[in-house]
Amino acid sequence: MEFKRLEKWGSELNLCIRCGYCCEHCPLYRASNWEIDTPRGRLLLAYGLLTGEVDPSPYVAEKLFECFYCGNCSKSCSAKVTPTDIFTDARADLLEFGFAGQGTTVRNDEKLCMACGRCVLTCKSEALSVDMGSMRVLVDKVKCKGCGVCVAECPVGAMSQKTGFGVSREELSAAVENSLRTMNGSPKVVVFCCNWSMTPGLQLSRMEFKGAENASGIIVTVCSGRIDPGLILEAFDQGAWGVMIACCPLDECEHDGNYRAKERCALVGRLLDVLGVQSERLKLEHFATGEAQKLKNALKSFAGEIASLGPI
Amino acid sequence: MDIDVKRLKEIVGEEDVRDDIADLYVYGSDASVHEANPSVVVRPETVEEVQGIVRYANTALVPVIARGAGSSASGQAVPIDGGIVIDFKRMNRIKAIRPRDILCKVEPGVVCDDLNRALQPHGLWFPSAPESGRIATIGGTIANNGSGVRAIKYGTMRDYVLGMKVVLANGDLVTLGADTRAQASGYQLDRLMVGSEGTLGLIVEATLLLRHLPRFKAMGMAKFSKLEDAGETISDIVASEVTPSLLELVDDIAITALNKTLNMNLPQVEAIVVFECDGRLKDAVDYDMATIKEICEKNSAFGVEMGSDAKEMERIYSGRKKLFAALSRYREGLVCTSLADDMAVPSSRIAECARKIHEIGERNHVVMNAYGHCGIGLLHTKILMEVTRKEQWEDARRAVDEVYDYVRSVGGTTSGEHGIAISKAPAWKKEKADSLQMMKAIKTALDPNNILNPHKLMDAPDDWVTATKLRYPVQL
Repeated sequence: MEFKRLEKWGSELNLCIRCGYCCEHCPLYRASNWEIDTPRGRLLLAYGLLTGEVDPSPYVAEKLFECFYCGNCSKSCSAKVTPTDIFTDARADLLEFGFAGQGTTVRNDEKLCMACGRCVLTCKSEALSVDMGSMRVLVDKVKCKGCGVCVAECPVGAMSQKTGFGVSREELSAAVENSLRTMNGSPKVVVFCCNWSMTPGLQLSRMEFKGAENASGIIVTVCSGRIDPGLILEAFDQGAWGVMIACCPLDECEHDGNYRAKERCALVGRLLDVLGVQSERLKLEHFATGEAQKLKNALKSFAGEIASLGPI
Repeated sequence: MDIDVKRLKEIVGEEDVRDDIADLYVYGSDASVHEANPSVVVRPETVEEVQGIVRYANTALVPVIARGAGSSASGQAVPIDGGIVIDFKRMNRIKAIRPRDILCKVEPGVVCDDLNRALQPHGLWFPSAPESGRIATIGGTIANNGSGVRAIKYGTMRDYVLGMKVVLANGDLVTLGADTRAQASGYQLDRLMVGSEGTLGLIVEATLLLRHLPRFKAMGMAKFSKLEDAGETISDIVASEVTPSLLELVDDIAITALNKTLNMNLPQVEAIVVFECDGRLKDAVDYDMATIKEICEKNSAFGVEMGSDAKEMERIYSGRKKLFAALSRYREGLVCTSLADDMAVPSSRIAECARKIHEIGERNHVVMNAYGHCGIGLLHTKILMEVTRKEQWEDARRAVDEVYDYVRSVGGTTSGEHGIAISKAPAWKKEKADSLQMMKAIKTALDPNNILNPHKLMDAPDDWVTATKLRYPVQL
């Protein structure tokens, strides 16, 4: 089997020293804690495909189609290896051999889809198109970066992503409920954080004893573009006193998800006004990767404001 | 290898056993040059599950290899004979933080930097986190007696292990050590486990001594136009009354790599020495920093920069943390391999050793650099080479031999913090020639069926190049 696109990455894959420094930055690894879900693990798969030590299989394809393209692995790599570029070429080669993994790419439910095209317009990766003959939305699995912006944008819930990484619509809903149920003390603030690497607290370990810090109010969404207005309202409906959306600085989002979040925040703000709820209970803030301290400070100040407003 | 996967699934649950070739392949390597697939990977969550796995393996005579983050540099986590890899990442609970006892209790899969994040609100820290602490686990750090950059003041992992729970090769659980700093009761079996690389037992819980976070810190950087001057500076600082909390050497090869990959804009000099002092009193820290500055200048340092601003310290130090990988971009066509990578020599020999390393590299047609926690005599020397060219592995083998011959000749040791496993075993066996039998006797007593990380340390193959398949596409 000739992996035409992957071939050119052979020497780059040698440069990866397999130190694993990319691992802590990967939301997929955080969700599963399996080595195969680390950027290092997926690079190894690509390497194995090239050397023939790993045969292409539906499982291998599934793993290589799993990536949210947050790019944190590439940014953290001081050997300057760019895993996401390598995964993209591996996907294209695998597709050519008939291995189309679902991974983190989006799915379109033809029964629900009205082919309105809103998803196509929001996709910065140009992964979506409407086939005018069949009036179906087509997903380009190589281009789809799994940001979930289209999932949140679809008015009829026709777009979806596989569960298991904590960021599908169902999982986010469950996370909101769980977070509010287990939150200690007050004020009850739900924070949607677009990138877990800037959240404070533990990354790959657990604290399970009395007095342990409860950071459960922070829900990691990987991209703020996947937070739809319904999810924000659900949080208020379930008892949140305030909701903060922490997203990337405006021009730094790979998917323009922060622009979508800004629009949706404005919309929910107006709805809250109509419902007689102070719109300042919803706040959108921008943080660059690594600005954990800034996030911590912003959270503290927001919690203070919300505490003075009290519960809804 | 015939392994009863069904039995393992009964022990840890269906979800936490993997035997797809894709999983086995990714669990077959670490940060070393070695590669060998396990037969199955299991992820226990409880001590009982670990005991169940080991009991089964001991009966079925199947190797068991403990794995934390897989960041080991000499093949510790590579299952040289196949077998069961136990991935400890689900045993990642910080079980207790006891500020009044200045200790904590953790499971082996807890990540070192996570532990420090958890300790920070208590004003405490665990200083022995290695540079790879963002991923390295406590279990792996104990098993390799890791140390990290602050060992010069705060010691290495063995100084922080008060006690531990260990699953032995027959599946029995033993409690070693105690929750006290003072311990004078018989054999120090907990210490025996430190640095044993998973060959004597599996650590399932550790009790660690902690320290108070220093209130003040300052960091400095001195440039040298001669590597020898930098080395002499380090030796002089170590011999002085000042104990810095960090003392690192970065050579010209490392400087080039850092400038290339991280745009660090470091001056292209022969060597840079980075130092840090910390303490409870600002005046004391400043006084120590001034003393170090004097020593640097006496040894012809120029442009000594010092700062106590957190951002400035981060700037000075950030490159060093990313150096291992950055070396892969030193020169087109060369790849950074983790070979001969962490020897230690007496402090007075730092300059001589660094120069020797450069000479040996040159003589053997590979690039070798010298950097590391020189304050404890530790030098990191990666080998940069054309990994797909067969002859280069001969060159590397010779270079490794020559470096270690020198290290032994001056009373140094094969590994300062990364451990031995496979790639350093031939040199280490020469160093420890008269105590190998003692070690083998201990191994046989504790693991008579040789199931725990077999063929590592004293039992590793005599030629590291052919010990396993190499991770690079090269035909030897």
